[in-house]
Amino acid sequence: MKKIRVTLTVNGHTHLFETDPNRTLLEVLREDIGLTGVKEGCSEGECGACTVIMNDEPINSCLVLIGQADNSNIETIEGLAKDGKPHPLQKAFVELGAVQCGFCTPGMIMASKALLDRDPHPDEEQIREALSGNICRCTGYKKIIEAVQSAAEEMSHE
Amino acid sequence: MNNLRTVGKSEIRVDAWDKVNGSAKYVADFQVPNLKHGVVLRSSQHHARITSIDTREALQIPGVIAIVTAKDIPGEAIYGPIIADRSPLANDRVRFMGEPIAIIVADTVEIAHQARKVIEVIYQPLPAVFDPEQALQTNAPAIHPDGNLLSHFHVENGDIETGFNAADLILEESFSVPRIYPGYLETEASLALWDEEGKLTVWFSSQKPFADRHTISQVLGMPEDDIRVRMAVIGGAFGGKEDSNMAVLAALAAWKSRCAVKIVNTREESMLAHPKRHPARLYYKVGVKNDGVITALQARVYMDTGAYASYGPAVAQLLTETIPGPYHIPNVSADTYVAYTNSPISGAMRGFGSPQTNFAYESLMDMLANRLGMDAVEIRRKNIWKPGDRNFTRVIVNQAEALEEMLNRAAQSIEELKKIPPAPGKQSGVGLALAVQTMGLGRGVPDDSTHQLEWLPNGKVLVRVGAPDLGQGLNTVAAQMAAEALGIDYSQIETALVDTAISPDGGVTCASRMTYLTGNAVQMAAQKLIDSLVYEASRLLGIPREKLRYQDGTLIRTDQEGANPISAADITGRLAEEDKQIIASGTFSFPYGPEIPDHLPIGMPHVKFCLAAMVARVEIDPELGIIEPTHIVSINDLGKVVNPILAEGQIEGGIAMGLGYGLTEEMCLKDNHQWVSRLTEYLFQTTQDMPRNMETIMLEYPESTGPYGVKGIAEIATVPEAAAIANAVFAATGIRVHRIPIRREELAK
Amino acid sequence: MEAFDFLVPANLQHLATLLQTPGRKLIAGGTDLIPSLRQAHSLPAQIIDISRLRELRFIREQNRIVHIGALTSFRDVQNSRILNETAPALVQAAGQIGSPMIRTRGTLGGNIANASPAADSLPALLIMDASVTMSSQNGLRTLRLCEFLLDPGKTDIHPDEILTDIFFEKLPSNCATSFVKIGPRRGMTIAIVNAAALVGLDSDGRINQARLSIGAVAPTALRCRRTEQALIGNLPSEKLWESISSLIQEEISPINDIRGTSQYRRRAAFILSKRALNAATQSLQTRMQA
Repeated sequence: MKKIRVTLTVNGHTHLFETDPNRTLLEVLREDIGLTGVKEGCSEGECGACTVIMNDEPINSCLVLIGQADNSNIETIEGLAKDGKPHPLQKAFVELGAVQCGFCTPGMIMASKALLDRDPHPDEEQIREALSGNICRCTGYKKIIEAVQSAAEEMSHE
Repeated sequence: MNNLRTVGKSEIRVDAWDKVNGSAKYVADFQVPNLKHGVVLRSSQHHARITSIDTREALQIPGVIAIVTAKDIPGEAIYGPIIADRSPLANDRVRFMGEPIAIIVADTVEIAHQARKVIEVIYQPLPAVFDPEQALQTNAPAIHPDGNLLSHFHVENGDIETGFNAADLILEESFSVPRIYPGYLETEASLALWDEEGKLTVWFSSQKPFADRHTISQVLGMPEDDIRVRMAVIGGAFGGKEDSNMAVLAALAAWKSRCAVKIVNTREESMLAHPKRHPARLYYKVGVKNDGVITALQARVYMDTGAYASYGPAVAQLLTETIPGPYHIPNVSADTYVAYTNSPISGAMRGFGSPQTNFAYESLMDMLANRLGMDAVEIRRKNIWKPGDRNFTRVIVNQAEALEEMLNRAAQSIEELKKIPPAPGKQSGVGLALAVQTMGLGRGVPDDSTHQLEWLPNGKVLVRVGAPDLGQGLNTVAAQMAAEALGIDYSQIETALVDTAISPDGGVTCASRMTYLTGNAVQMAAQKLIDSLVYEASRLLGIPREKLRYQDGTLIRTDQEGANPISAADITGRLAEEDKQIIASGTFSFPYGPEIPDHLPIGMPHVKFCLAAMVARVEIDPELGIIEPTHIVSINDLGKVVNPILAEGQIEGGIAMGLGYGLTEEMCLKDNHQWVSRLTEYLFQTTQDMPRNMETIMLEYPESTGPYGVKGIAEIATVPEAAAIANAVFAATGIRVHRIPIRREELAK
Repeated sequence: MEAFDFLVPANLQHLATLLQTPGRKLIAGGTDLIPSLRQAHSLPAQIIDISRLRELRFIREQNRIVHIGALTSFRDVQNSRILNETAPALVQAAGQIGSPMIRTRGTLGGNIANASPAADSLPALLIMDASVTMSSQNGLRTLRLCEFLLDPGKTDIHPDEILTDIFFEKLPSNCATSFVKIGPRRGMTIAIVNAAALVGLDSDGRINQARLSIGAVAPTALRCRRTEQALIGNLPSEKLWESISSLIQEEISPINDIRGTSQYRRRAAFILSKRALNAATQSLQTRMQA
């Protein structure tokens, strides 16, 4: 198996590496770049735990071969806080009880960010739809939706 | 109860920030130097003899370090939490699809996968059975040498013949409930490290690290002191991580290879291999008078425990105790049978028997009401426990008075929800269900929990919680209760994850009991900690102990007016220079006093109850039979709400899980004889499936033995949903379902 | 995953050359392929990544024909002004596929080529009488979509071809369409049955065009042509929709699977057809009154 060369910009840092092509973006983010905040839940795009933002769009990183991500811009949960200041979504998730076991949380927050980046004033149904690919087994989603609404509200005042 | 400083407040979870910034580490996130990877070869057969396992070709592959099979097991091969009936690796027989046969340890996961593909297992298939009643027939395939009946429990009270004779109406109904997968987002993972001294450290996302340590020591034939089990952050458990198998497999892999080995289950492996909720068939015969008072209940329940016992007998016990629900029924006879089958293992899962019976008895209550022409609330009023009543196991019911308030609130919700007209083309209906859950492990089962406090040099207090936080927030409520007991600020508390080398043994996080046990133990430890602080201060400062008064983290000298308070840090800082610490433990035992009836087997009865009521409104598309829950009102008595946001969150999550049980989740055998084992087929509730209106009502009827009055909430939150939905469906359509998940075919006209 | 070599063609011509060697597999959005690679016992030796071929990602209208590039994502479909105007049923279908993340990566060409009987884009395209274009070293080939779909997972595509373009003729203004789907749950779900309908009315309000396509009830998504014929010339009504029930049943052949029984699918096929026809009619009547 011939190795491939990949350039990835992740959370503002550019990485160049050589790797086997039969790996997914999820594996590379977790194992090669050490971003274990991106979680593996099912490896088939059915749980959303691996959600990251690639080229400004939300994707399941378990469904992208690493070669397909060449020259892409990736945002993960680790890159959300700016200069030590948490993103309003992170703050809202913490304060409104939207975090329990935390395993769905990174993917949930990234999917929420992708929504708010494109639509700063979503209504509840739009939030539900944006998060319909992120499974949570602990919260019943209610406080997650409230957190997204609260973050949207805060961000609209910034 | 007034003026509590932190108990009752929605304090921020201790690990929330770590979880939102990606720094919280779960076992699969760990890296250690020279880490190797293990994958498990699992049985492709439901039931078979293994005639040979050939690993020669696999061992030749470069990068393969070791392959472990049953014949390598150095210690006690057979283990089990209640009945020892299982080997961590199948020897000459496999009993369920997914049963571990070998562990391949290699430099990378890919190499391990390659090796796994070329291991040749020769199976001799045996006939298999997947139904508990069939498994108990005389000609059924024998799964274990002592037969397929694992346990039978019989509990009775009063005289059912008299009871039925007094009845005006007798109903006999049967119900069927499915196999449910706990479905935590974090699949099971374990990392075991063998060090140069021959000692083992195992990281495992587990509900019972001390028990795991014991099992590992048995299987490896090693002293427990040479084994250290450590927790990472846990991504949900719900009972499914109350199983030592993964820790044992990782330990065996590390032992054989003398390396650090990480094993992470795929989602499919998790679904096949880890314990699930017992599917069951329940046969109820109930007698009732025309005024709605139930005179007799006879029930037979058949539970499918799968290929190995796991917690089957214990689940059966709790299930049996909840057979009559929260009702005073003078004459009851209950028989519960637990059968082995070749299904994947059933074991502990949130509810532990009570969700199963709840679907039966709450469906039945509505059926009785319907037959008698009575209102659903009224028939329950006629039968619910009153203060002073005993369960049919003869245990006094705690805070039975909460049921009346619950029914009143439920009745109010029902009236309001009934007023909402259905959307065009839909039918609507409102349903009610009450619920009972027990707390604790049952009479005669060691039910002690030890937790430890340490006053740190900087004046903060470290709580070494002795049982794992599963993600539900145990460490947070422990911190709150420690802060409260010490009179200091929540921000002054630190918590540590369980490490068997350092932490006290808090027991298993399960059975709706941890907040209760931990809070009590922490209160005891706090008192001792304060006493130690006073003692040390007296010694260091030369002040008689009687002249020192502890107050909110400081010591006040009562012999000098206007003296500055002495901070705890002053004392602990000085002690640190002497290389001493102030540490105190508290052990609380679940209260089983001499008044507890002892006519039942060990593990019965349970002596504390949690109660709840739920109202559900559904809209039904009658042409397609599609059920949409629009409103859920969940009314729970928590005794004392330690952290409102945390408690609400657990209830809301419980609602999602309960709705899944009633509507979309089932792990069954498909037409191609494979189990449902992927998330495309096993369907959790998504954001779109959840009701748009969820109301959580938390009552506080204090439990006298609970810290601040606390009771449990973890399990009961997920008990009444299926029945409430089924009753709402009946109200909407006139169709009574006897099985869950509810099939659209039954409703589509 | 098993080992494979990863080939990235610079453009369509390069791809055509790469496709001359048999046994290679194409990856576009990966949402179907990657799960199947994980389940497979053996993988192709080479996987060709076409996800970056910009020339296959377009939506344009030319001379009343709307062309959609095969690599157009479902998210692109949802956001397209052209498709919202000319193919609303397809936009409806796109919005109900998988999850937002799946829709970012999943492509129309992939959904078609994968040819699942339950694929959501297919009924919406079949009622548009859509056609597909394949490209290879030998040039272009066009086929009607209904002829392109052969069996579950099987299309008429040749091993050296790639799907490049899906196109249909713009509908006249007296036509409207609708798409409906039901799955075992509401969010992120595979269809138990899906259906798309096109209704055209003449100046008397009688049906002069009727197309009905149902998915997940046969080896491929199909057009119910006899049903369509029976609708022509009639005034739309609840009674008319009821009357086609047995015709629909004759045209479909659903199976039992984990998501539903064949009996339920038969019922659902009828109900969804009714609803799609009704919705298309209502939206057309509203538009015509305006």
